[in-house]
Amino acid sequence: MSDIYIICVEDEPQVLDVVIRDLAKLEEVFPIEIAHSADEARQLISEIKEEGNRIGLAICDHIMPGDKGVDLMIEMQKDPFTEHTRKVLLTGQAGLEETIEAVNKAKLNRYISKPWKPQQILEVAVDELTTYVIEHEKELLPFMAVLDQERIQEAIRSKGYV
Amino acid sequence: MESRRPEKPKAERHPNVIGASARPIYDKGTFVEKIKEMMPDSELMSRLKQTFPEGEFMLRENQENTKLYIILDGYVSQVKEGDEVNTNIGMQGPGDFIGLLSFQTGEPVFTSAKSSTKVTTLALDHDSFEVFLTRYPEISKTLQGLIFSNLAERYRKVVTLHVEVAELTKQLEAEKNHLKKTIKELERTRNALISQEKMATLGELTAGLAHEINNPASALLRSVDYLVTTLPDMAQRASALPDTGLVRFFFEMGLKREYADTAEQRVRMKELAKKYPYINRGKLRTMAEMDHEVLDRLKPFAEKAEKEEMLQLLLDSYQSGIFMNGIRLSTARIEYLVKSLKSYSRQSGKEPEVADVREGIRETLQILGNRLKDIKVKIDFPEIPPVTCFVGELNQVWTNLIINACDAMNDVGELYLSCGLSEDKNNVWFKVADNGPGVPDKIKKRIFDSSFTTKTASQDFGLGIGLAITQSIVEKHHGTIEILDRQGGGAEFVVALPADS
Repeated sequence: MSDIYIICVEDEPQVLDVVIRDLAKLEEVFPIEIAHSADEARQLISEIKEEGNRIGLAICDHIMPGDKGVDLMIEMQKDPFTEHTRKVLLTGQAGLEETIEAVNKAKLNRYISKPWKPQQILEVAVDELTTYVIEHEKELLPFMAVLDQERIQEAIRSKGYV
Repeated sequence: MESRRPEKPKAERHPNVIGASARPIYDKGTFVEKIKEMMPDSELMSRLKQTFPEGEFMLRENQENTKLYIILDGYVSQVKEGDEVNTNIGMQGPGDFIGLLSFQTGEPVFTSAKSSTKVTTLALDHDSFEVFLTRYPEISKTLQGLIFSNLAERYRKVVTLHVEVAELTKQLEAEKNHLKKTIKELERTRNALISQEKMATLGELTAGLAHEINNPASALLRSVDYLVTTLPDMAQRASALPDTGLVRFFFEMGLKREYADTAEQRVRMKELAKKYPYINRGKLRTMAEMDHEVLDRLKPFAEKAEKEEMLQLLLDSYQSGIFMNGIRLSTARIEYLVKSLKSYSRQSGKEPEVADVREGIRETLQILGNRLKDIKVKIDFPEIPPVTCFVGELNQVWTNLIINACDAMNDVGELYLSCGLSEDKNNVWFKVADNGPGVPDKIKKRIFDSSFTTKTASQDFGLGIGLAITQSIVEKHHGTIEILDRQGGGAEFVVALPADS
């Protein structure tokens, strides 16, 4: 079975450190990869694709050197490989227009503003990944341990597997 | 114009101070007709006839005059010659007199007279005047009447002028007061605009700063959260280790960790995953960040799956070092930002201060850091003398010019900042240049106008009067600002300010 990756794109190393730490619990099931810029993220995405894996969740800063986070997300939305990836914008500042653009063009799923509350990123990640696996995975049991158990049980019941 | 016929003399005016019924007692037209009728038969009159071509001075101010001219044909303009400007007093036509005052009083000519057309006159000196009166009794009465009426007219004019002057003075005074009020109003509006624009830039800056501060703030908060959960147990967990000094070692190595390229990091992580298939990714990630020396110390704990707890402890210790360092860096960053903001936005006092302007530009760059992420800033700041200035206001100048450059380049490009001393050593100059599209000559002329902007409302928080305000601040400092083409493309703003000697 291929792996479902979480990718984090953030230009500030200290912020990246704490994001990974917040998500550590999920890494037992969802490998985490990081990138410091949109360019690095592109390279990362193509590596994950080549290895035959998928990306379930992308957490992305907006203001970075080079392409902005919203641009990267729009790009991901257009690419069939990352179209279904759940997309979360993590930022200290994005104008209203950019946010609207992200919602409309990148099908942005969530917006987290910096600084975030303890557990906030983890909760959002769990929620979004739960949605992702329910929509795209046949076998849901392996995800019970780290994701939203209630929603997964509900999904298993409605899909008719037990 | 084909003919230069002067305007007809204005119809007699009857100002309200003089009886409106005042009317010339004697008719000039009839008088002239009469003379013309008599002329062919009168040898004296024919002799007294004098003509002037167009544009000739019949009388010059302050010169002696011994003649009285009676205009028969044509028009004569009377001019009071000033130092700079000549004032037209009026136009005289047929039946009017030229030289009447000087002729009667013997005083120098009061106003010059210049023929506006070809002019025919009867020119009488004192002798011929006497002869004229006795020779032609039938018209002498009319002549005297006309002379009297002419003088009365002059008197009336003087009175009218007095009244007009008084009225004008009153009007002028009212206009002056109105103007004064308007200027005050304008000044108030200008100040309001300046502070509004300042608030708008501040709003823009704050949005940028929010991001700048929220990043380290996030790192700080989350790092502390991590340490709060990890540190308390660490000492107890360390008791299981053969050498408790290892905890300290890994902590210190974590403190010193440098950020590696993420792609390289992935490669190292994969290598480690092959080597230690039983270690989970979270641990492998931390291990991938260690250099070989540190990894060697970890080996004994990594190679045996049953030492997993100790491996975890050492990795936690390393990670704690990383977060501790993150806290240090984030705090320093926030401190620096706040310090820059404080000195950047400091309110200017009433009195200017002697300051190194380069400092203000550097602070402005700090504050604008967010806008400059994709802009290469090239600074060439040699030593220059200080400038007596309002630092806060000048910072507004640098902010506007730099934001302007960023806008022009769409936030991607190169920004050149330089300064120097003028050749005569009286001025220091500062250049803010970019490698954007530059400014067309047509726009250059208007770029400092307050009504001119290329921005649309959605692009900018400001009012689009940034450059107008920039100019007004520079002028307040007795400096100049101009816009040039940068060599190699782009725009270049040059601000020159008087140097402190």
